[in-house]
Amino acid sequence: MTHDVIVSAEKLEKVFALGFLRKKVRAVREVSFEVRRGEIFGFLGPNGAGKTTTLKMLMGLIFPTAGTARIFGEPVPSIAAKRRLGFLPENPYFYDYLSGEELLDLMGRLFGLGRAERKRRAGLLLERVGLGRAGARSMPLRKYSKGMLQRLGIAQALINDPELVILDEPMSGLDPIGRKEIRDLIRELKDEGKTVLFSTHILSDVELICDRVAIVVGGRLRDSGPLDQLLSPRLLHTEVVLEAGGQKEAVRLAPELDVDEALRQALAAGKKVVAVTPRRESLEDLFVREVESGDVGAGAEHQTPREAAS
Amino acid sequence: MIGRIVAISLNTFREAIRNKVLYSLLFFAVLLIASALALGQMSLHEEARVTVDLGLGGIALFGVLIAIFVGVNLVYKELDKKTVFSLIPKPIHRFEFILGKFGGMVLTLAVQIAIMSAVLFAILRLQGSPIGGAVVRAIVLIFVEVVVVTAIAVLFSSFSSPFLSGAFTLGMFVVGRSLPELRELITKLHEVALRDVLWASTRLLPDLHIFYVSGSMLNGQYATVHRVYVDWSYVATASIYGLGYAACALVVAILLFSRRDFV
Repeated sequence: MTHDVIVSAEKLEKVFALGFLRKKVRAVREVSFEVRRGEIFGFLGPNGAGKTTTLKMLMGLIFPTAGTARIFGEPVPSIAAKRRLGFLPENPYFYDYLSGEELLDLMGRLFGLGRAERKRRAGLLLERVGLGRAGARSMPLRKYSKGMLQRLGIAQALINDPELVILDEPMSGLDPIGRKEIRDLIRELKDEGKTVLFSTHILSDVELICDRVAIVVGGRLRDSGPLDQLLSPRLLHTEVVLEAGGQKEAVRLAPELDVDEALRQALAAGKKVVAVTPRRESLEDLFVREVESGDVGAGAEHQTPREAAS
Repeated sequence: MIGRIVAISLNTFREAIRNKVLYSLLFFAVLLIASALALGQMSLHEEARVTVDLGLGGIALFGVLIAIFVGVNLVYKELDKKTVFSLIPKPIHRFEFILGKFGGMVLTLAVQIAIMSAVLFAILRLQGSPIGGAVVRAIVLIFVEVVVVTAIAVLFSSFSSPFLSGAFTLGMFVVGRSLPELRELITKLHEVALRDVLWASTRLLPDLHIFYVSGSMLNGQYATVHRVYVDWSYVATASIYGLGYAACALVVAILLFSRRDFV
């Protein structure tokens, strides 16, 4: 292991035994990946792919059936490692009888922060996530909207000024403005030298901010690495938009066809060339390719116990 | 470690004092104890006796009800509402979480019992009756009893639903209070092997009778809170037993909780 690896998972596996008959459900199979210091790492996969189960194993919420995971070189769960990280659970739920300020104060106490420091950090973080106005700070959490809870969840994950921030679906349930704000926040965290690992099924988020990604489908890791290396550089097709007699027409040219020759023929036929766009593989193409090649059709095999029960 | 346990305890206490249901229970308890004022009038110069009996009965009944009602939800609610997902990834051990929840519950019960006791003492003062040390000793014993019941509730709630945990805890309470009678029945069995097994199994059950002794024979003497009651050394011995039993129940709860997956 090199010194700049912050998180490493090696052949992580989780099998749940469900129901009276203890039916085996394999949620995660031999997942291995590494997160390096200072990067934004996207953990990408469709719903029920095993992302949350994997993150919960890293957080000590679920015990792996097989495999090992280390954070800051310590086998999980480690108190020393937990001191240096912050975690946002998926669809965060907090004590709804507390206010935002009180929740951050409680979380600060768990990190052993002094009263003055807790107050200072709570104020700064509430301001940072857009909950700084007096009404929001002191309002009981049962009155918070989903977006507000998500923001507060991020604030509580940062209360200890962590080196590593792990966010499980941080953009879920947010409107486009909220999603952009969270993306900007993640970029700011990287600029501050923090390492960010986050899971999502929203491709545009990954494409916009991630340095490296891992794609999980059906509990298996399908691919991982820098985005530009994962995406195939090969040309998929060339899209040509032509105009004739006021009518526009889009033509897709296969990669083996000569585009110059096709354009010459079109011009000779009196058509006007409006646009020529070569299309290479996008993250969406890669994702669909991975999902289609994966065995997601196995149904309950990849569901989490909560999903299987619902 | 202590700081983290205290933080979780104080948060649990805060949850309890913001819970309206607990206030309703406390209101009915105070109402029951205060009804001694009216009932005492109907008795023939036995106001103090009625007040003490009703007061101690009310404190014990509502103390146990609150212990079961809140205790069985203590851990389950954290899992059901998923609040544990943001707590466990913080630098805490799972045993600290259980001890913190238990500590908060004990603090809640201490405050509730203190309020009910204050009402009882105020009524006794109003009636011009003396507040004897026996009543104080009886209240301490009730407090230790509810601590044991809370630990049992936490144990069941660490692996079972609130409904089942409540039923199990209530069952343990009823059996624990009737342990002398149960043992008496067992000694009358003719089948020796069965008798020995049952007798040994009663050792695992909490002897809650020792915390509510008023009106029973103790060492050949009739113990009553109105006249000859147990002394402080009895209270100390019973407390050591009760706290030891609660500690054992918590150790089992911690062992069960420490290997649990939070899905």
